[in-house]
Amino acid sequence: MTAQADRPDAAPSGSVGWHHRHLLDVDGLTRPDLELVMKTADEMSEILARPIPKVPALRGTSVTILFYEASTRTRVSFEVAAKNLSADVVNIAAASSAVSKGESLVDTVRTIEALGADMLVMRHPASGAPYLAAEVFGGSVLNGGDGWHAHPSQALLDLYTLRSRLPGGSLEGRKVVILGDVLHSRVARSNIWTLTAMGADLWLCGPSTLLRGFEAWAARGAAGRRFTVTSDVRAALRDADVVMALRIQKERMASGLLPSLREYAARYGLTTERLRAARPDVVVMHPGPMNEGVEIAADVAVDPRSVITAQVTNGVAVRMALLYLLSGTKSGEGA
Amino acid sequence: MTGRRIMAGEDVRRATIRISHEIVEKQAGTRGLVLIGIQRRGVPLAHRIAAAIREHEGVDVPVGALDITFYRDDLSLVAQQPIVKGTAIGFDLNGRTVVLVDDVLYTGRTIRAAMDALIDFGRPQAIRLAVLVDRGHRELPIRADHVGKNVPTSREEVVRVMLEETDGEDAVDIERVATARSASGTGA
Amino acid sequence: MSGMTTAAAVGALITRTVRGWAVDPAAGREGAAELEIVDGLLRRLTWLEGAAADGITAGGTLIAPGFVDLHAHFREPGNEDAETVATGLAAAAHGGFTTVCLMPNTTPAIDEPSVLAAVTAAAAASGSPVRVLVHGAVTHGRKGETLAALGELADAGAVGFSDDGAPVRSAPILRNALAYAGALGVPIVDHPEDPALTEGAEASEGYVATVLGLRGWPVAGEAGAVARAIAILADVVRDVPGARLHLTHVSTAASLDHVRAGKAAGLPVTCDVTPHHLGFSDEWIAGARRWAWEAMGEDGRARDPWTDGALVAPPFDTSLRVNPPLRSAEDAAACLAALVDGTADAIATDHAPHTEVDKHVEFGWASNGISGIETAIGIVLAAVESGGVPLARAIEALTTGPARVLGVRGERHGVAPGLREGEPADLVVIDRAADWTVSADALCSKGKNTPLLGRELRGVVRLVVAGGRVAYAPD
Repeated sequence: MTAQADRPDAAPSGSVGWHHRHLLDVDGLTRPDLELVMKTADEMSEILARPIPKVPALRGTSVTILFYEASTRTRVSFEVAAKNLSADVVNIAAASSAVSKGESLVDTVRTIEALGADMLVMRHPASGAPYLAAEVFGGSVLNGGDGWHAHPSQALLDLYTLRSRLPGGSLEGRKVVILGDVLHSRVARSNIWTLTAMGADLWLCGPSTLLRGFEAWAARGAAGRRFTVTSDVRAALRDADVVMALRIQKERMASGLLPSLREYAARYGLTTERLRAARPDVVVMHPGPMNEGVEIAADVAVDPRSVITAQVTNGVAVRMALLYLLSGTKSGEGA
Repeated sequence: MTGRRIMAGEDVRRATIRISHEIVEKQAGTRGLVLIGIQRRGVPLAHRIAAAIREHEGVDVPVGALDITFYRDDLSLVAQQPIVKGTAIGFDLNGRTVVLVDDVLYTGRTIRAAMDALIDFGRPQAIRLAVLVDRGHRELPIRADHVGKNVPTSREEVVRVMLEETDGEDAVDIERVATARSASGTGA
Repeated sequence: MSGMTTAAAVGALITRTVRGWAVDPAAGREGAAELEIVDGLLRRLTWLEGAAADGITAGGTLIAPGFVDLHAHFREPGNEDAETVATGLAAAAHGGFTTVCLMPNTTPAIDEPSVLAAVTAAAAASGSPVRVLVHGAVTHGRKGETLAALGELADAGAVGFSDDGAPVRSAPILRNALAYAGALGVPIVDHPEDPALTEGAEASEGYVATVLGLRGWPVAGEAGAVARAIAILADVVRDVPGARLHLTHVSTAASLDHVRAGKAAGLPVTCDVTPHHLGFSDEWIAGARRWAWEAMGEDGRARDPWTDGALVAPPFDTSLRVNPPLRSAEDAAACLAALVDGTADAIATDHAPHTEVDKHVEFGWASNGISGIETAIGIVLAAVESGGVPLARAIEALTTGPARVLGVRGERHGVAPGLREGEPADLVVIDRAADWTVSADALCSKGKNTPLLGRELRGVVRLVVAGGRVAYAPD
């Protein structure tokens, strides 16, 4: 995707290195960008393996983590990542602050900036919220998940996990299946961009109500990216190299999208039996938190082919890499 | 850009061998010695010094590599040079004598960052410094124990070290450029 | 423009001679012309021929009857921070409009004569000669439960009935309203929407909404409501031949097909399209800023902005959140085609100013609406420029088209667009060769919520005369 100066993350052409001031989505990341994140995450993994897993790279940098949605796992992952880089961290869970009193997002971000924050890591239930924050924030904004739209750090840690697990570290031509509630998933949307950028043969599978709109996307192929959309779970899993299960929420039944979770588990749940259709060395993933027995069977979650725990560990390394790379761009540079 | 060669291949080889003798002499042997090369060109130099020590002492001194990118005191360069080359220190530093090896010693900031990094790995008994070229202009109170060649330079000049392993040949050139700082081999 | 004098005060009777390319849909004529206005009266209109017409082209100075807007929101009473009748009228004049029909979704709603009177009083107090007509609400408080005082509102001067902002929620109420208003000779102006299908919706259901993770607004959410309203109309006209249905801000091909079929069946249904549904498509939410017709490929399908490199602005700009939502480029093309073939009778702005507080929030939480009355003609002229609609048809849709929808009631209020000798001048003069930059300062409306901020629009309004009096004359 070409970008121009008004975009929040415009990159000057032909330049080596990281020039995105914000990380709000992964749509615009080029293959060199992705490689750079992977390499940097490798270094961060090495640091995490040391007796003292800490470097002073972000000393003096103030990182504020602002989560409007409850999420212990990701919020803590970002906090650990920032602290490992010696940054000063302020962690705000929205319910505990003026936010719940009705203070607008714009006011909250302005306050955070006035309190000295250099970087803002944000999670918000409304798609597009981080772009609003980026408009008013003088430092860098890292999107920790916005509505259904994007979850850049998750897609990047998924990519990192796959590269360390797949033979040759390459996704080229590998069949990757994302199985579950794609419609409501920012993890799915971001993974579509990154996995197709790396040449994977991507399949999206789930009940048709939860795939709404994706057939049109697959047919149009944003930026030439192609993927397959199907409700046939057997066809999707056949010879798959990677299966990523997505969480199904109870609310989907209430909105009439699914008859019941029981029916979903029976028809689309990732069980050992269903997994037999995939390649014997298939990699099993899940962004968490899991509904064991619904979208993924308990025994599959702990199957040796599952990298779910590695995803969590890699999450810290990848987030350290992202904070590090973003810290190098100051306002005005790279727009 | 005008350049002149201040060390040719043979000069580099002789300097490396002399440094390796000096290191052993200062340590009165090889006990407790480890060599840690600073990325990028300090690493092949450290390996060469270890090879020379193996040759004349018959002992294998452990060699590690240290990337100080995350210890720099200037983040503004991250955008242009975020590429990290890798730290690999596969041995315990506690109680050892660490000889840091780098190609060029300039402001001293790289060495300061390297010492910060080393402390995170353990507590060496002593840290020494060996460099191929000392070009002066220190900004911190840091000095090298072993120097291949002292080369007085001006801030408008750039010292370009080339090694077989990284650049295809062994040589050290000085070039005059319009801006004072450059990317390769300087800012140490 | 020859014979220019110094700036005239708003409301003053004007004396001026203007020359340019006149388009008069009432007379069915366009060409080089000279108009002599004396003390507000159009004393003489001369169509120029031969050498006298030299240098006067359709691309230069354009003279047309004052525009008529069937649908605008001036927020008074109740939300004067967003707009007042006075500021709205200034904006209307800046946009070339000499007649504006206001929607009743104020606070309180215009569901009884006293509120209507307050609005017309505010208009009179503003000193603007722009004509203000008012739509009364269909139901009490626009709640969709019981009919509002339709008869009294009609007597008080309402030109239409609408629950706009919302559809008429109940089918039986819509049916009764069509019948009752039909006997009064007043059209029902319906905002076609099925709220059950559009609950929580943020952007038009489709490719862009899917990629951006926005809740989709299905086409059926509008087309279904259009079909229902027309079906109800078909039943009503059997008893009440005077019943009339006007569907406002129709935005999809499917809806327009229903209207086309209704008209073919002889039903008294009319509709309007907005300038933003003609000029922008949903790809703007992703960050594109090309006109909707520029986003169409040769194969008749919308191009992919991600592949085209068309994304030039940050995504999720809340000035693009509107009801009905911006649609696909194909739907925008269908709106333009409907304008050309007459299925769309008029262009109405749906001018919807909002305060910064209501718009500078997350996309899904932003108020719906675009402040569009001042940029309407710029968008329409861009469409003309692109060859998508003939100039005469475009002007017709801004003048005699809406006047026809208003019918006799409009006439009684003085709405009779045309360049007629011996009558008070009611016209707009536009310099099609000049540009203006849309900026917060340049906009007269309090509402700066337009995605065109910072953009250069071609076509500068130079003079607007309403009923012989100056409405806008900056020079």
